[in-house]
Amino acid sequence: MMIKLLKQPQAIIGFLFITSLLAFSFYWPNLLDVNKTEALKLQDFLYDDEGRIIDAPPYTPSQVPPLGSDMFGKHIFYQVIDGAKYTILIALGIALFRILFSVGITLINPKSNFSFLNDIVQATLYIPTAILTFIFMNSLIVKQSMEPMSALKFIIIQCLILIGVGIPPLISTFSNEIKAILNKDYITNTFALGSNKVYVYYKHVLPELSTKLVLLYAQQVVQTLILMAHLGVLAIFIGGSAIVVLGDIFAPMPVAIPLAGEWAGIIGMNFAKIKAAPWTIITPLTCFALLIFALNLIIQGIQNCLETNKS
Amino acid sequence: MNFSFRSYLKRLRSIIFGILIIGIMPALLFGTNTQVEQNVWEYSIKNFKYPLFPDVFEKYQYSMTIFFGALLIGLTAALILTFFTTLLPRFLQRVVYGLLTFFESLPDLFIVVILQFGIIYIYRSSGVLIANVTNVYNNPIYLLPILTLSILPTIQLFKIALLLMKDEQHKPYVTVGRAIGLSRSYITIVHVFRNILTSLVQYYKTIFVFMLSNLFIVEYVFNLNGIMNILLNTKGVAFMVTALMIAIPFSLLFEIAESNTIKGNRQEGVEAA
Repeated sequence: MMIKLLKQPQAIIGFLFITSLLAFSFYWPNLLDVNKTEALKLQDFLYDDEGRIIDAPPYTPSQVPPLGSDMFGKHIFYQVIDGAKYTILIALGIALFRILFSVGITLINPKSNFSFLNDIVQATLYIPTAILTFIFMNSLIVKQSMEPMSALKFIIIQCLILIGVGIPPLISTFSNEIKAILNKDYITNTFALGSNKVYVYYKHVLPELSTKLVLLYAQQVVQTLILMAHLGVLAIFIGGSAIVVLGDIFAPMPVAIPLAGEWAGIIGMNFAKIKAAPWTIITPLTCFALLIFALNLIIQGIQNCLETNKS
Repeated sequence: MNFSFRSYLKRLRSIIFGILIIGIMPALLFGTNTQVEQNVWEYSIKNFKYPLFPDVFEKYQYSMTIFFGALLIGLTAALILTFFTTLLPRFLQRVVYGLLTFFESLPDLFIVVILQFGIIYIYRSSGVLIANVTNVYNNPIYLLPILTLSILPTIQLFKIALLLMKDEQHKPYVTVGRAIGLSRSYITIVHVFRNILTSLVQYYKTIFVFMLSNLFIVEYVFNLNGIMNILLNTKGVAFMVTALMIAIPFSLLFEIAESNTIKGNRQEGVEAA
């Protein structure tokens, strides 16, 4: 299948885009020849040549090339580049765990109907995933404010929520697929010849599922990315947030800023300022759109492969 | 029209159980002290508390107006676009299909923000306010949310309709129609569209669920006080009631659509086996 995938130009373009973005995100201080702490520092005011203050943040793209700055004076361009690696790796990781857990749970008892999970799946059709996740995340934040927990534990619970939200629909997909495979004649024969369950799952069921798994994995990555963007707008930041007080002494304005630099956090942090500084939102959103487009190219490539396999 | 009330009740029971589980889960996982801070029949937006009833009915009606308005516009636009695309030469059709794949991958949030900002930008530069971009007091806006919500379903329906059209155009009855001298547009409008519409119904579930998720983002970004906003800001029992208000009519629609597309289900069954 891999060789066939190499013949799909669109899949290769998508793959190259994502890998180069990831590599660039890790090595940008060297490649662009800038100091990382220097580029991401807070910049209070903008001075002209004679040292006079000419403007306060947020700066427009023409004042601070190439993409302007947010309300703390941080360069959006460097933030986006630096955040790419967190965004991509979180999405890839969460999608991977969703697939792994749901295949694992299904294989424990493939014959069962999972009627309990089926109820949840039926209900989640009518509740948007973002709201579902928000309910859990909000409770988590309330709990954390009452009894503080360590940052690592907080992040792990957040990731578990993100993983758990995607699992019920996946299990119902997998249980249908695996049931169809287990009903095939050669599987019945293998059992009749005396092989044990683990052997059959490992040797026959998983290879037959593998192409489907890759496709579902890519789709899950896209869904995770969209979910992250939605959560960013709702001011739920993966990796926790800190409260910073902006504004003057008479009108203090507490603003939550994310601690991890992923794109959803940039969107959420600047969302209240959309009318004043639209470039702070549109840049990370465009990046999300491009990333999702690259993933969709890969999905298209895989689907083309599957179609040629069938015929 | 075949519809069994019994299977609908079965589905409803499953939905009620599911919503019950989801409503209780946060309290189970993170302790009940996160839940008790507000009255059961209240929802809170930005530290202000409002009673759930009878507010919720008005908001429900508002949201559903936007939802079905968008669905109607999306369906009409998709069918019109499909019709004109089939009249184009072959290579342009391919270009259109490629463009659709690109637009489909735009996140809903991106489209909402771009549209909102675009209208503000036009207003700033030319002084023409095309439509109000946000709700002010009790003056609900309709035009922009409906248009925004209809964009992504239009693209999806358009893509599906194009694919169905491709299959349909090589069927014998089209050839017969051509042979007896009917024009291409006549066949498309009178015969092919009728068949496509019945096939399009099979995709109702994807479209509806997708649109509900979009409705939430539209309501949040445009600051509309709709049903999704209440769903977001309620907890416990009130959350379950609001979710059920969305779930009951939609599941009825799903059930009717599902029992009327048995043909499609049978095909799926063959594929799965």
